[in-house]
Amino acid sequence: MTGRSELNTLSYSEAFKDHLAHPRNAGELEGATAVAEQSNPVCGDRLRLSLIIRDGRIEAARFLAYGCPPTLACGSALAEMLKGLTVEDALKLTRKEVVSALGGLPSRKQHAAALAIETLRAAIQSNIGMS
Amino acid sequence: MRKVYLDHSATTPVDTRVVAAMLPYLTEKFGNASSVHGFGQEARAAADRARRQVAAMIGARANEIIFTSGGTEANNLAIRGVCELAEAHGRHIITSSIEHPSVRGAIESLEKRGWLVTRLPVYDDGIVRIEDVHAALRPDTVLISVMMANNEIGTIQPIKEIGELVKEERQRDHRHLWFHTDAVQAAGRLPIQVESLGCDLLSLSAHKIYAPKGTGALFLRRGVRLTAQQVGGHQERERRAGTESIANIVAFGAAAELASREMSERNQHTRRLRDLFERSVVQSIDDIAFNGDRERRLPHLSNISFRFIEGEGLLIHLDMQGVAVSTGSACSSGTLEPSPVIRALGRNEELARGAIRFSFGKDNDDQDVDYALAALQRAVESLRKLSPLSRQTVAVS
Repeated sequence: MTGRSELNTLSYSEAFKDHLAHPRNAGELEGATAVAEQSNPVCGDRLRLSLIIRDGRIEAARFLAYGCPPTLACGSALAEMLKGLTVEDALKLTRKEVVSALGGLPSRKQHAAALAIETLRAAIQSNIGMS
Repeated sequence: MRKVYLDHSATTPVDTRVVAAMLPYLTEKFGNASSVHGFGQEARAAADRARRQVAAMIGARANEIIFTSGGTEANNLAIRGVCELAEAHGRHIITSSIEHPSVRGAIESLEKRGWLVTRLPVYDDGIVRIEDVHAALRPDTVLISVMMANNEIGTIQPIKEIGELVKEERQRDHRHLWFHTDAVQAAGRLPIQVESLGCDLLSLSAHKIYAPKGTGALFLRRGVRLTAQQVGGHQERERRAGTESIANIVAFGAAAELASREMSERNQHTRRLRDLFERSVVQSIDDIAFNGDRERRLPHLSNISFRFIEGEGLLIHLDMQGVAVSTGSACSSGTLEPSPVIRALGRNEELARGAIRFSFGKDNDDQDVDYALAALQRAVESLRKLSPLSRQTVAVS
């Protein structure tokens, strides 16, 4: 029941393990102006992102995540990257940038970064819908 | 950081007494057991002694033991070996829905070649029902393969009852029917007497009983025939070609003797630690579910689902704190493979994903339990803080 390479903590970077052990910006955000929760329909991983966007800039970002460790770490890394970004720059963020913020991800876990970007775009979309 | 190993169902450390027994066979007693000269005869004698020791652990005769490279090979040899030879008499196999991947894989390989397979349910307690085995029997059934104890949840299967059923069937002229059991997890933890179990084939692995990885054995009842899967040598009486790994075989023999002698003491010890651990988990962590029957199971093993979080994250959190456990589920390339064993219990996906196996060993102590529990509390708390799932968002069944 073990022995899958992706379960091996050695395949994760120090940055990754640090995000996992000490997640940044976890939780819900009071007064959020943008919220989205997306899930990977195949594996069931979920990511919830709350943002406070004012004057086209992300003032605060919080995340909640359920799923495999890369999904948790991507949520943490994303929330950390977002703070202070303009919405315009946030929309330019790519999967690759999330992955590199974590010091890389095993190839079979790249989908976690895709979920992060997808959730970010949905959240920003929700803000546009609100305003 | 303290290291606490609670994954003894995955593998065990080699007992120092076992190391001492095998070491001479790596250096001065290095002979090939097939050689006629003194070096070879010394190796042959050592393998024969180990064969008697392994046979004694399960109440078999020495010449009913075939050494293999491990449990997986023993399962492959048993299932494919028997079925390939019995093909003319029928192409139906009965097995359980919670077998080890090596049994599952061997049976699937036959299924791809047109064999019919009945996979028995295990209900919410993780145990096969003898009535279901009976109902699944057909005139063309040639093999029943049901594990003695499960590797993920530790539930003990009614092997003796199945053995009796097979005996009755044979008396009804169903002669081409054989019964195999994978006893890899049961060995050293449950008393095994092949005669009273009534099985024809039984698989064992050395590294689960404090011997090195790379060796296993298949018990093949006298008179039962199979097709060798490894050919090109006369070793193991033509049933498994290849030079014997004498040092490993000696280690397996020594470990088998120790396992028999110390079984009740080891079981008492691991059961006490396991029960202490489970009581503490119940007292300190909410929203958990135990997987599998809690009475009819191996004494060293505990499988618990932690709600609202996912097993792999929990495993890595524990690993970062020095505690080694395992999970049956894995998520890769965006597809989820929840443990088929936990799913077979009727658990939903969330519970199946949150299942963790803790398996204790003879060298664990009370401090290990305390340390693991504290690490577990921290890990669960930390992951639940991150989780968008809660009692409010998920129906608690």
